[in-house]
Amino acid sequence: MTTLNKLLDSFHEIASSPKKQLDAYLSEGRKVVACVPVYTPEELIHSMGLVPMGAWGGDIELKESKKYFPAFICSIMQSILELGIRGEYSGISAIVVPSLCDSLKCLGQNWKYAVKDIPFIPVTYPQNRKPDWGKELTKVSYERIIRDLEAATGVIFSQDALARSNKIYNEHNEAMRKLSEVLEQHPSITAVQRRDIFKSAYFMEKEEHTALVCQFMEALSQVVETESKLKVITTGILADSDGLLKIFDEHGLQIVGDDVAHESRQYRIDVNLELEPLEGLADKFSRMDHCSVLYDPEKKRAGYIVDLAKKHKASGVVVLITKFCDPEEFDYVTVKRACGEAGIPVIQIEVDRQIVNYEQAGTMIETFKDMF
Amino acid sequence: MFTLGVDIGSTTSKSVILKDGQEIISTSLIAAGTGTDGPDRAIAAVLAAGNLNLNEITSVYGTGYGRKLLKNASGEMSELSCHAKGVHHLMPEVRTIIDIGGQDAKVLSLGTDGRLAEFLMNDKCAAGTGRFLDVMAGILQLKIEDLEKQAAIAKSTVKISNTCTVFAESEVISQLANGVKIPDLVAGICQSVASRVASLAKRIGVQQTVCMSGGVARNGGVRKAMEQELGIEIIYSPMAQFMGALGAALYAYDKS
Repeated sequence: MTTLNKLLDSFHEIASSPKKQLDAYLSEGRKVVACVPVYTPEELIHSMGLVPMGAWGGDIELKESKKYFPAFICSIMQSILELGIRGEYSGISAIVVPSLCDSLKCLGQNWKYAVKDIPFIPVTYPQNRKPDWGKELTKVSYERIIRDLEAATGVIFSQDALARSNKIYNEHNEAMRKLSEVLEQHPSITAVQRRDIFKSAYFMEKEEHTALVCQFMEALSQVVETESKLKVITTGILADSDGLLKIFDEHGLQIVGDDVAHESRQYRIDVNLELEPLEGLADKFSRMDHCSVLYDPEKKRAGYIVDLAKKHKASGVVVLITKFCDPEEFDYVTVKRACGEAGIPVIQIEVDRQIVNYEQAGTMIETFKDMF
Repeated sequence: MFTLGVDIGSTTSKSVILKDGQEIISTSLIAAGTGTDGPDRAIAAVLAAGNLNLNEITSVYGTGYGRKLLKNASGEMSELSCHAKGVHHLMPEVRTIIDIGGQDAKVLSLGTDGRLAEFLMNDKCAAGTGRFLDVMAGILQLKIEDLEKQAAIAKSTVKISNTCTVFAESEVISQLANGVKIPDLVAGICQSVASRVASLAKRIGVQQTVCMSGGVARNGGVRKAMEQELGIEIIYSPMAQFMGALGAALYAYDKS
C-alpha cells in the first residue's frame, strides 16, 4: 500500500471512529472536552493540556433526545444530545456549547438536565463582535470558560501556554487552507476522502493533525492527475454523509473549495500572535466573517461564495442546507441571488443527520451535471 | 435509426420510439412502475405498436426513478433532463415546465436553446403530487380520471390543507361528514395540489410560456387551478405523460 493510501486510510479510520479516539485519549490519562459547533475556542482547551474533541453529532436514529426538543429543530444538535444521553461521551470532563444560534441555546439548557454527569460550559458570544466592547465581551466570556474548565478539570490556565496553543492552531489553520488549495489540483481525491481529512481534525490534537496533513500533501504532490471532473463549491453547515458525498463521486463532481462550517470556515482566520494571548483569541473571533451564524447586516457571505467559485473556476455551487437551520435558510436567498447575478448555477440540497436515502439528491446532482 | 426512451416512474412505465431523432413512431403506457414488470411490458407494447423488434432499436435510454434498473439500457439520464428535452422538442416556446408525477413535483426553467437553466424538486412529501390525488380519489370513491369531471361541475372550492396528505385526508373526511358536495371537495383537492406546486414554481421564477407535464397534467381540474394560482395560461400537450420517455429517446439518438 502506498504512503498516500495509508494516510487516507488513517484519516478515514480517525474520522469514522471518534469513540475509539476518545477512549484512547482517556486510557492515556488525558482529559477530554467536547466542543460543539459552530465555533468553540479550542485554543483555550488545548492550552490547558486538555484534548478538545469536536462534537458535531452523528447520523443516528433519534429517540431519547426527542424528549427535550420540538420536532422541527436541527438534527445536528439533537444527535449531540442523543449521543450524550446514550453515554457515547462517557469519560469526558466537560462539553462547551456556544450560543451562536437559538437551537444551540436550547442544546445547552437541555444538556444540563439530560446529561447530568458531564458539565455544560456555555460560550456567550456578542452579536456585535467587531467593536472594542464586543471584543471585550468575547474576552470576558472566554474568562468564564477558563474558570469553568478549571473547576471541571482542576487544571490551571496560563497565558504562556495559550500563546503556544495559539501558534499551534495558526499552523494548523495554514495547513488546512493549503490542503484545500492542493486538493483543487487533485480530482482523484474523492469527496468522501476530502471529508475524512477535514473531519479527522476534530478528533486529534492539532499538532498531530498538522503533521499528518503535511505528510499527506507531500505524498499527494507525487501523484500525476489524469482525470478531470466538474468543479463545484460546497456551502452549508455540514457535508458529512457518506451517502450524499458518494453521489458527488459517482457523478464526477469535484469539490474544489468549500464554505462549509464543519470544514474551511474553521480555518480562515488566525490569532494575531502580537497581541496578549487571550485578547488575541477574542480578536480572532471579531475578525471572523462570512458565516450564517455570525451577525452581518451587509450579508457579505454571498459575495464571498461568488468570489470563491470564481477563484477556483467552479462551474457551480452546491448549497447543502441543514434541515431546520434558520440562519442558513435566511442566507440562502442572498447566496442564490448573488450567484445568479454572477451567472453561477446553484443547486440546493437539504441535508439532515436522519436522512438514509439520498435518492432525490442523486437525481438533483445528476441533473445539475447535465446542465453543463 | 430508431431509438427507444423508457421512463420508469413510481406508478407507471412509459415508452417512446423515435425515428431519426424526430418522428414519434409509437408510445406505450403501463400502469405499473419501478420494481414491477411494468417497464418490460411497456417496452413490449411500444415495440408491438411500432411493428418493430428490439434488435431494430439502435439505442435504449432509461429515465425516471427506476432508470438504473432498466435492463440492457445503452444509458440513462435523470427525469428532469429528459422532461426538459422532451418538452423542448415538441414545444420549443416553453420556458417553464411544471411536472407533477406520481411521487414528486418538479419545476424546470429552460433557456431559449432548451437547455435546463434551473430546477427545483418538492421535498419528500406526498402533498402536491399524484399520490395526493390517488389518496383523495380513494376516500371519495372516485376513479382518478373522474376528478376532472367532478371539479368542472363544482359550485365552489372547499379549502383543503396543502401541507400534508395525512392531515388533508382527515379534513376531507370531516368535510364529507359536514355534508359538503363532492364536486366542491374535488375542486378544493385540485386547488390544494396546484397551490403547493405553484409555490415551488414561484420560487424558481415563472417565465412564459408555461406548460405542465407528467401524469397529473392530464387532470384539467389541476391545470385550471394552477392557472388561477399563477395568473397565467398553461399549455398542455396530449403527450404530457410521455415527455420523459421522449426526452430519453432523444438523448439516445444524440448519444448514438
